[in-house]
Amino acid sequence: MAEVVLKDVMKNYGSLYAVNNVSFTVEHGEFVALVGPSGCGKTTTLNLIAGLIPMSGGDISIGNCIVNELDPKDRDIAMVFQNYALYPNKSVFKNLAFPLQMRKLPKSEIEAKVTQAARILDITHLLDRRPRELSGGQQQRVALGRALVRDPAVFLMDEPLSNLDAKLRVAMRSEIKRFHHNLNATVIYVTHDQLEAVTMADKMAVMHGGVLQQYDSPANVFANPVNTFVASFVGSPAMSLISLEVVTKGTDVALKSAEEGWELPLSAENARKATASSQGTVVLGARHSTLKIHKSQVPGSVPGRVYTVEPTGDVTFAQVFVSGEVVNVSLEPTFAIAPDEEVFVEFDQQRLHLFDGQTTNALKAA
Amino acid sequence: MAAIESAERPVVKKPIDWWRWAGRAFLTFLMLFTVLPMAWMVLTSVKSQFAAMQYPPQWWPTEPTLNNYLKLLDPTNRVGQDFLRYFWNSFYVSLLTTILGVVVAVPAAYAFSRFRFPGRNFLFFSVLVRNMFPAVVFLMPLFLLMRWMGLVNTHGSLILTYLTFGLPLSIWLLKGFYDNIPIQLEQAARIDGATRFQAFLLIVMPLSTPGIIATSIFSFIGAWNEYVYAYTFLSRDDQMTLPVGIQRFFTEFATDWPGLMAATFMMSVPVVVLFLVLQKYFVRALTEGAVKH
Repeated sequence: MAEVVLKDVMKNYGSLYAVNNVSFTVEHGEFVALVGPSGCGKTTTLNLIAGLIPMSGGDISIGNCIVNELDPKDRDIAMVFQNYALYPNKSVFKNLAFPLQMRKLPKSEIEAKVTQAARILDITHLLDRRPRELSGGQQQRVALGRALVRDPAVFLMDEPLSNLDAKLRVAMRSEIKRFHHNLNATVIYVTHDQLEAVTMADKMAVMHGGVLQQYDSPANVFANPVNTFVASFVGSPAMSLISLEVVTKGTDVALKSAEEGWELPLSAENARKATASSQGTVVLGARHSTLKIHKSQVPGSVPGRVYTVEPTGDVTFAQVFVSGEVVNVSLEPTFAIAPDEEVFVEFDQQRLHLFDGQTTNALKAA
Repeated sequence: MAAIESAERPVVKKPIDWWRWAGRAFLTFLMLFTVLPMAWMVLTSVKSQFAAMQYPPQWWPTEPTLNNYLKLLDPTNRVGQDFLRYFWNSFYVSLLTTILGVVVAVPAAYAFSRFRFPGRNFLFFSVLVRNMFPAVVFLMPLFLLMRWMGLVNTHGSLILTYLTFGLPLSIWLLKGFYDNIPIQLEQAARIDGATRFQAFLLIVMPLSTPGIIATSIFSFIGAWNEYVYAYTFLSRDDQMTLPVGIQRFFTEFATDWPGLMAATFMMSVPVVVLFLVLQKYFVRALTEGAVKH
């Protein structure tokens, strides 16, 4: 197993930069998720690491070896695809054996490695079948097996769970996590599902428009998002974002809603952050679990009107219109609340986020 | 009382499905239209000269004979020699056309499917446009071209011409196949250790086998049956292909109808056999290649 280093990697199609100056390092044995919405460049980045498409600039190294010029087959990688890409006319055994055959290994060794991989993934009973005779989950395991027999330096996975139904997806998620754990494999995993990334990865690389937004552990990305995009991408329901103006009266700093005129005073630390904004406007971010709803005004709360209520059984989600934006609040299932009710939303000053209204970057205390 | 079902169901007369019967009648007519001439051809081919000339026509031969066939297939007499040579020429030209057609069409279709290069759309479109013109339109220009290249009176001229006619459809059909094969298969193969070419040869091409077979059938039959160009480009008797050879052959001696029928029947045998054997792939090709998954 080795580390993978991307340095200033670029891929452009004419004036369209699919991957724009992306740099990050994957340590030996780490599980890194490349996340982002469709079209953000994550699959392109993966294909660049695999060598399936040529780079426009930058360096990629796998295990201390720069691989820019190397063919995919020489990079010591293995890939699992979203649609499994199993060879349809070959049996499962032949599918698993193909990479070893291509490397001209002796027959006995091929047989040994294939049976071992089949055993690890519990597909020994499927070895004689054709891919079209297998279920989605079984095909997925065969695809993993085909990667496993290679014993590669890095496993690349391109949305491998997207084609599975929800229940199977959850089951396979744990299986892949175990797979990673048991082999101590280095894995780079592309997904558009932030939940997959957050639950499986040691580190997340959040991408948007070809640019790497943040590369950190899921906990840090969750707790300290660097901009509004990352803030609203990670976490479900998404973080609520409200645009507000900064007003200073002497030493007190408050956030004012241009729509509704109310003012929310800030704690000292938040005040320092707010005053660092470039144009005097901020975006206030708050996760649903940090907000409270009151029927009457309390200090640190602002007025709002309930839009919808979604009881899920475990918890009730309320969408409340605050300053013209929808804010998500999670409540105890027993809390009595109805649409169109006038309520007050209380912010936790310790756990709210402030982003520059202009640049959308997270504000830090000056 | 209310729960008891009526023991007698009312008799409803099913209306005659006129459309269905009209359809059946039409299909029967079509079938007779196609089959009767062939049946007549076969029946005539087993008659003697005299029996064939009877008026009113003798439907079923009173004394069927296989002489006509034996004469054509006998290499010791001149008729047989000529016929067998024509048969071989046709076979040779059609086979080469087919093989070269596949060799060119497969990579071309793959390139059109997978690669983006300047002029790609234009080239593909012009390949299809060629198909819109009846073949005869190109007769003069192609003849002049062949003469300029020194290919008149060679089989090469025919093979090149038939390739030109057959390739558009072949490329179009095969491109449909390659469009439907997910690119991840090649990517997986390349990661597993194949070069780009190996990935194509070992993984992708086998998946287009029905398309290749359909292409081959089209090319072979097109070349086998072609008359106009064979007539124009070949003037030496020993070079003739079957369609031309048979026609020339039989106007030399006042028309030997049973012989003509026998020769024509034998000319159609390879085509029918080919179709029967490969029809399964043919149908698969036309449906699989066309439908987008």
